[in-house]
Amino acid sequence: MSRSENMSLRVGVPQGLLHFQYGTVWERFLSELGAEVVLSGETTRHTLDCGSVLDEMCLPAKVFFGHAYQLRDKVDYLFLPRIVSIRSGQYTCPKIIGMPDVLRNNVGHLPLIIDTNIDMRKKSRPLYQAIVTIGQLFGCGVVASLYAWFRAWQYRARIQPVGWAYDGRPRLALIGHPYIIYDRQVSLDTLGKLNKLGMQVVTPEMVEREEINRAAAKLEKKIFWSNSHTLAGAAMALMSGSRTLSGIIFMTCFACGPDALVGELIRQQASQLNIPCMQLSLDEHTAEAGLVTRLEAFSDMVKRRQNT
Amino acid sequence: MIVTFPHMGTLSIVLKALFTQLGCQVLVPPPITKHTMELGTRVSPETVCLPFKLTLGNFIEALEHGADTLVTCGGEGPCRLGYYGVIQQKILEQLGYQFRMITVEPNLIESYRQLKYVAPHTSWHQLYKAFQLAGAKMNLLDDISSEANRLRAGESVRGSINLLWEQAVREIDLAESCLAIKGLREDLLQKLQAVRVVQPLNPLRVAIVGEIYVMLEPFVNQNLERRLGDMGVEVSKTLLLSDYVKGHLLRRQSYLELYKKLSAIATPYLGHYVGGHGQKSIAYTILKKQQGFDGIIQVYPFTCMPEVVAKNILPKVSQDIDMPVLTLAYDEQTGEAGIMTRLEAFIDLLKYRQTKLRQTIKIDSELSFLH
Repeated sequence: MSRSENMSLRVGVPQGLLHFQYGTVWERFLSELGAEVVLSGETTRHTLDCGSVLDEMCLPAKVFFGHAYQLRDKVDYLFLPRIVSIRSGQYTCPKIIGMPDVLRNNVGHLPLIIDTNIDMRKKSRPLYQAIVTIGQLFGCGVVASLYAWFRAWQYRARIQPVGWAYDGRPRLALIGHPYIIYDRQVSLDTLGKLNKLGMQVVTPEMVEREEINRAAAKLEKKIFWSNSHTLAGAAMALMSGSRTLSGIIFMTCFACGPDALVGELIRQQASQLNIPCMQLSLDEHTAEAGLVTRLEAFSDMVKRRQNT
Repeated sequence: MIVTFPHMGTLSIVLKALFTQLGCQVLVPPPITKHTMELGTRVSPETVCLPFKLTLGNFIEALEHGADTLVTCGGEGPCRLGYYGVIQQKILEQLGYQFRMITVEPNLIESYRQLKYVAPHTSWHQLYKAFQLAGAKMNLLDDISSEANRLRAGESVRGSINLLWEQAVREIDLAESCLAIKGLREDLLQKLQAVRVVQPLNPLRVAIVGEIYVMLEPFVNQNLERRLGDMGVEVSKTLLLSDYVKGHLLRRQSYLELYKKLSAIATPYLGHYVGGHGQKSIAYTILKKQQGFDGIIQVYPFTCMPEVVAKNILPKVSQDIDMPVLTLAYDEQTGEAGIMTRLEAFIDLLKYRQTKLRQTIKIDSELSFLH
């Protein structure tokens, strides 16, 4: 396959699950390889409807499914790498691992799927193998593929979010998977709503990685899901930090396996430190009014506590 | 030190034998009842899977009866089981119990240290003998239960196999040496053979796949195999305690080869390990079709991550290989009538398929005669 033909290869990237963490790198990497990247766009009501063919899955998995479903007849390739593990000794989660297969077995007439395994549980070599394998699909050699990845990774480093500084407003920690918090349809824009209520919101992404790892290392047992490791670490770091925290909101989706345990871990720690903690469990039936009421009540309570 | 552990089918008999032989004082938690479920559910996170709630209930009941050392298992994920221990310990501490929790991780050196803590003055010989006796009991219990599940479909007096099974459990529990187990084995297998059986012509054969705790604990799965047996169905469970111990803990060569084979069978549908038994559920569905089974029942606790992945793939497998699959997700709300209705409907479907299949074969052979 020649390079010029590749220009027309359209690769669909579903904007769900780990896309919220690694999407920029993937998009950049694919376009460096010469592919035309097609994004599925923000989650809509229709995405949720497409995703609800899945049974008993958590909402983010259904959302991801919906995104991939909507892309299926617009592209030549669907980019669904099977991300088993992104850090040594950790897994992502069974549903993320099984996602390419769930899609394949529930939707007919799919374009070609790029489902290269990325399993960095034991060593990071599989990542580079995956990069080379994917590069080959677009007719790139080993060096060209690795260079494309290097460029993409550099690009990511430039747009890393900065930390946060105390600005006088009551500070809330909003703990939850990036694919819940930053998906405005799934979270019903809780982040924006809290900001409007006059809260300074801190998410796990704003906490330094070293700080997270240090706090997570203090847990009795290492958490073996990488996202949960980050959530628990960030929550512990924020709660035990010297800067005061007015409250903590743990946002989860119904039927999320790891969150059921990690949420309990955070709740216990918060009650020990006497920090108000609210658990919000979302699913596709969550009504906005109910959520707003709870957020308002919580922020009122936090403000009153701060004033007394 | 009074040692206790959670229930999972006949696990308590095996562990009781092991720890007693190691010289510990053992307290077997009271059998799982509705009360156990309520105790566990009240203090557990809401959406955690059922085994967490029930094992926690077991621990609470055992602590109330005076136990002070809890033995539980660990793991490396991605299934939630590996993180049970930590959270349960925290919950129990908050409830104000005084105890020590021993989590057996898949790590030989650490396990040996824990063993030394439980049984400080045990010689290698005693250790060997303890494990040997526990292993013998486990193997015998599994063999008897498999045989019972097969035979129950044809017993002429309803309930005779169940009586025999209960007797077997009692006797195996009381046996104190490997020699006694050996004697029991012959005796019990003979008794099973002697049960009067009216062999139906073509009994339906159903395999149970899915999550091990639900599959093995009759309180949770609502006596699934007995119910099926009473409907005249031969039952084969694809996971037994001995399989788990030999495959996952001892990593026997024969099991590792079997797992590799199963993984290869499942790969066209589910190309990677997703924790727990997700891949095996799919592999066994295909394998049991090849072995001539009539249907598959997948069981798992509600929100079980690996099995939910498998569940969303099984309809396609079922369609491709023409094998009916019934999925049963259990939680603390599961009612008896609901399970019965679904089982009856499923078995009716299997019966209908069987007669239809036989008719087509008959017509085919008649037609071929005409030509």
